[in-house]
Amino acid sequence: MQGSTPQNPSSAPGAVAAITHARFPGLARRLPWLVLALLAAFPLLAPALGLEYYVGFVRRVLIVAIAATSLNFILGYGGMAALGHAGFIGVGAYTVVALVEAGFSSAWLAWGSAALVAGLAAAAIGAVSLRTRGVYFIMITLAFAQMLYYLAVSLRTYGGDDGYGLYTPLELGAWLDGAHAQVFYWVVLAIAAAVFALFSRVAHSRYGHALRGIRDNETRMVALGYPVYGLKLAGFVAAGAVAGLAGGLLASHNAFVSPSIMHWTQSALLLVMVMLGGAGRRWGAPLGVALWLTLEEALKLYTDYWHWPLGLLLLLVVFHAPQGVAALLERRGGRESVR
Amino acid sequence: MSLFRAEGLVKRFGGLLATDHVDLAVEAGEIHALIGPNGAGKSTLVNLISGLLPADAGRIVLDGVDLTALAPHARTRAGLARCFQITSVFRNDSVRDNLLLAVQAQAGSSFRCLSRRDAEHALQERAEALAQRAGLAEVLERNAGTLPHGLQKRLDLALALAARPKLLLLDEPMAGMGPEDSQQMVDLIRSLRSETAILLIEHDMDAVFQLADRISVLVYGKVLTSGDAAHVKGHAEVQAVYLGTEVAT
Repeated sequence: MQGSTPQNPSSAPGAVAAITHARFPGLARRLPWLVLALLAAFPLLAPALGLEYYVGFVRRVLIVAIAATSLNFILGYGGMAALGHAGFIGVGAYTVVALVEAGFSSAWLAWGSAALVAGLAAAAIGAVSLRTRGVYFIMITLAFAQMLYYLAVSLRTYGGDDGYGLYTPLELGAWLDGAHAQVFYWVVLAIAAAVFALFSRVAHSRYGHALRGIRDNETRMVALGYPVYGLKLAGFVAAGAVAGLAGGLLASHNAFVSPSIMHWTQSALLLVMVMLGGAGRRWGAPLGVALWLTLEEALKLYTDYWHWPLGLLLLLVVFHAPQGVAALLERRGGRESVR
Repeated sequence: MSLFRAEGLVKRFGGLLATDHVDLAVEAGEIHALIGPNGAGKSTLVNLISGLLPADAGRIVLDGVDLTALAPHARTRAGLARCFQITSVFRNDSVRDNLLLAVQAQAGSSFRCLSRRDAEHALQERAEALAQRAGLAEVLERNAGTLPHGLQKRLDLALALAARPKLLLLDEPMAGMGPEDSQQMVDLIRSLRSETAILLIEHDMDAVFQLADRISVLVYGKVLTSGDAAHVKGHAEVQAVYLGTEVAT
């Protein structure tokens, strides 16, 4: 660990901040707050800038960033290359569908249940999957997610292949409903910020250190006396629950849920975005998601063949910044690594 | 009553009997060396005792507690810590972070996930004391992977010591060391005698004869003989299979 504060190397607020760290140490600390303030002000500024359409887009970026942050936690910090994360997003989304179908209309109940049910699914899937390693773990998480996918396809009550439309928005409660057209945006932003702050905090706790230890040297962690399996399972369940929450939010965002939300390509895409941003980096997940989705959105304006420039970008990152964009920015900021 | 007993340990790899009904005892305060030619099954035996390999048969008892059914991490918590033949440290972390991770495992729950670990003074103090103990105080902030081999070996040992073991398994602590580093390691191991019993696996015969109270000789997965240095040096079969000319000179 190299940097200006070797005693306390993990205090830097992260990659984006690290760019400016060398020259403006105060700004480095404030940058995350600045970004948050800009995001909060965006729906109010958007009409004046003619960007109203993009409020919904940013909302989607935030929701996907929640899911990606939870994946980054187990992939980047825990070394668990799970290729079935979209399965938990799907469990969350279908939990919302099931509750709506049953006549419930509270958003908080629906999203909370989405997290809870996805967490339970992650506990069951993780309990089996975490007994394997490496490629086997990738394959078994993929297999479980595909089982969930085909389960959703077979659920006729919830529209099967055709999906299920959520025609009335969920109720946020008392004063929130109808207070402003963009109330849902701010709710999503608050949840995304809270999730991000929570995982950042956990990263520096005893648990976070233990999780990284397992990633770096599992055998040694066992020999040190750590209950490795239990620690990994706890992380897997937490990440699954948060992915489920993102799934619940996504259901509300799209006002529609179909099995394609949990197709394995969605899991792969989530992995790609985390790697692009920087697995195991604090800002890796939100950076990767924002970069990927923004480029996708921008390229779609110019060409129907927007996949190939994105593929090219991915190749560039793999060859020139294998640690991800966050790591690249940290290096520019004169830092070897900030975790 | 011995501090540690392994009874009738058996391990088969396919048709190969790597560990053949091994009985082994370590007394409190004792340094018990395990020697034997390459392929004798020394490392297998260490892995059976520490639990990283499941034994096909046999029993392991430490301080009156049967550890046989315990998972490897639970054996460490019961007082059985180990080092690794191939240095096993956290190469990308500082020596301080390595030691913090080791002491954290022994002090309270590692499921705590909201408070900052590095702000826990008790852990920092334990880590610094360990560094002092193992002669690593000067390199606390250096990355473990950048340390010279001898210091990495000492860090490996310090990580095991964090568990405050009753029995310490040392798998070739002098492997790949020059004479100077070796002697420092010998001194360090000797200084541990008052804290823990030690089962020492080592190829460096100078070190073994300097340190060991008792020596067991492992050949083809079996304990050939067990006794003090004089007994082992004088044992005809041991000379034939292992020590050969080294003792004769």
